Amino acid sequence: MTTLLGRRVLLVEDESLIAMMANDFLNDLGVEVIGPATSIDAALDLISTHNIDAAVLDVNIRGELSHRVADALRERRIPMVCATGYGHGAADFAKGAPIIDKPYSKEKLANSLHSALSGPQGSGSPSA
Amino acid sequence: MQIPGGEKLTERVDELSALYVLTDRLYRARSNHEAFEAGLDAIRDGLGCRRASMLLFDDAGVMRFVAWRGLSDSYRHALAGHSPWKAGERNAEPILVTDIAETSEPASVKDRIASEGIVGLAFIPLMAQGEVVGKFMTYYDQKHSFASHELDLAMTIARQIGFYLERTRAEEARKLTEDELRASEQQFRLMSEHAPVMIWTCDASGKCTNLNSMLREFWGVTSEEIPTFSWHPTIHPDDAADIGARMMEALTTKSSVTVQGRYKNRKGQYRTLLTVARPHFSAKAQFRGLIGVNVDVTESEQAEAALRHSEERFRSAVEAAPSGMVMTDGNGRIILVNLHAEAVFGYKREEMIGHGIEMLVPEQFRSSHPLFRGKYGKRPLARPMGAGRDLYARRKDGSEVPVEIGISPIQTSEGLMTLASIVDISERKRSETQRDLLMAELNHRVKNTLAVVQGIAHQTFRGTAATEAHAAFEGRLMALSAAHNILTQTSWEHASLDQLVSDSLQIRGTFANRVTTSGPAIRLQPNQALSVALALHELLTNAVKYGALSNDAGKVSVEWARTENPKPRLKLIWSELGGPAVSAPSQRGFGSRLIVGGLAADLEAEVAMEFQPQGLVCKIDAPLQEGILAQ
Repeated sequence: MTTLLGRRVLLVEDESLIAMMANDFLNDLGVEVIGPATSIDAALDLISTHNIDAAVLDVNIRGELSHRVADALRERRIPMVCATGYGHGAADFAKGAPIIDKPYSKEKLANSLHSALSGPQGSGSPSA
Repeated sequence: MQIPGGEKLTERVDELSALYVLTDRLYRARSNHEAFEAGLDAIRDGLGCRRASMLLFDDAGVMRFVAWRGLSDSYRHALAGHSPWKAGERNAEPILVTDIAETSEPASVKDRIASEGIVGLAFIPLMAQGEVVGKFMTYYDQKHSFASHELDLAMTIARQIGFYLERTRAEEARKLTEDELRASEQQFRLMSEHAPVMIWTCDASGKCTNLNSMLREFWGVTSEEIPTFSWHPTIHPDDAADIGARMMEALTTKSSVTVQGRYKNRKGQYRTLLTVARPHFSAKAQFRGLIGVNVDVTESEQAEAALRHSEERFRSAVEAAPSGMVMTDGNGRIILVNLHAEAVFGYKREEMIGHGIEMLVPEQFRSSHPLFRGKYGKRPLARPMGAGRDLYARRKDGSEVPVEIGISPIQTSEGLMTLASIVDISERKRSETQRDLLMAELNHRVKNTLAVVQGIAHQTFRGTAATEAHAAFEGRLMALSAAHNILTQTSWEHASLDQLVSDSLQIRGTFANRVTTSGPAIRLQPNQALSVALALHELLTNAVKYGALSNDAGKVSVEWARTENPKPRLKLIWSELGGPAVSAPSQRGFGSRLIVGGLAADLEAEVAMEFQPQGLVCKIDAPLQEGILAQ
């Protein structure tokens, strides 16, 4: 099992209370959080300026599906976890990336990140 | 032969006189007998021959005596049938015998002639239309040499008699024909009189000349009244002009006519008669009027009208149907479409009628469609078309629209038809998609809100000592969220109890080998589902903390059943086994309160928590609402 310790994980979540909680979860897991980004543009900025190992991406950012962020991540082969309230309806968006159903527990977040990092786009070890 | 005075002139005068008398008598003859007597008289007076006979071929071609003078019966019997010519022979010449003894006739003939006292004799052929029909004979007691004027006279007499025979034969033939005609007419009348159809005749002016018994019965006319009867006033006023004109045309053009109209019968009821009349000509091709047959078609007309009405009703029902209707014949030709079909397919009805149904089938299915039609023709049942497949119809503009099609066989007088009802479901599909989108959006918002609540709790409990309370809260929140997911799958209509139990107890995950369930399929309403999900979560949490799932060996069994009497109820029993020894908690915790209170409130359930030594047993007994029963 890959370790999450020291991974740089981009967090994209527009709802501040959820973002804070997810930030805490990630910190508890020993992850270095990039963000959280609360808009698509902010997320794209962070992607283009930071070295990122993985992302936790809210599928819906301020009423817009965050396709542009997902595309940018795929372009860079950065594995991601799609967080959503759409449930299985988000499968089209995720295109095989792990989906995590909101609300999610810290344990579920950890499991999803593990499977994202060990998936086809995961590097299997910290990039740093 | 006696020739007075021997004067040739006197002879000529006698001959001419005899011929004149013969001609006159033959002309006036009222019977063959009179004619033959006249012939014999002329032979006697003209040729001065006392003995003579007249013979004719009978139907069998045997020469028979028909008149004679100075011959014995036995002679006639003996010589009857003797003839130098055959019946019908042409170019027969007279035979003049001066002395019978000098001929080569058989001796028996010669002897018989001699014994009658005859020596000389002459055979003069009687010709009619160039054929021998008989002869006349002159007999002489002495040898007789014939003078040329005698022969001429004999020939002239023979010719006159021949003419007479020709004339009478022609007359006989005509009479026979007339008799036959009369007989056949009588036969026709007799036949028509009792025929089971109505038969009539009229003369060339259209005047009624005969009505058979059925037609007299129809109009209430006696045979005696026929000459003064006119059928025209019995015709229905609406039909009279047409029928009158058509009959008049048939009379003037001497041609056949077929008309149909209503005639008033003797009871005053109008009946529909179909009349077929043919011109009738005499033997001399003279137009004698019409012979007609009337058939009462009232019933079949009414049946046809009823059929027409029912067909009209069918057509208007089809026309008014709220879906596209297309009827095809056995060959897949479109024979009927309604207004809605025009809207569904974008064609005007005249652009569809007469064409193959395949014009309305999307191109990729066109080639296989006749095969399906053929199969349907073998087992024609009313059913939805293309079960389980998405069907599309092709519009005139080439676009394809999603449709539902129901097909029914229709048995008609023209064979088995197929009636298809086509509903354009584009709108339904759109609204289904719309509803799915709305549901997804709603779910997203609810889940996001739960996540926000989770975030608030996270911030509230963070850094406090209440970690246990925090975990319990988060667990309950997750249980609620999981129940939401199940409800979302059915668009918040119902939830399957089996799925709810499985998901709540993580049977496919962490506790696969520890929890067993059994029970029938039962649907719960959304609020019931949420309560049950929360209750199961509490029971599970309790079992993990203190009960059968707190060690490695304990098991949980969840069993439920449905009872019907008097009303449907759900009975669910949670029982734990193999956990640490259990005693009733001194104080009801939040968990048990949530279970008992929540279920009692949301399900009107009676809940019994029994802390038995071998493990907790929780019995839930809740009414199931009608209509939300087993699947």
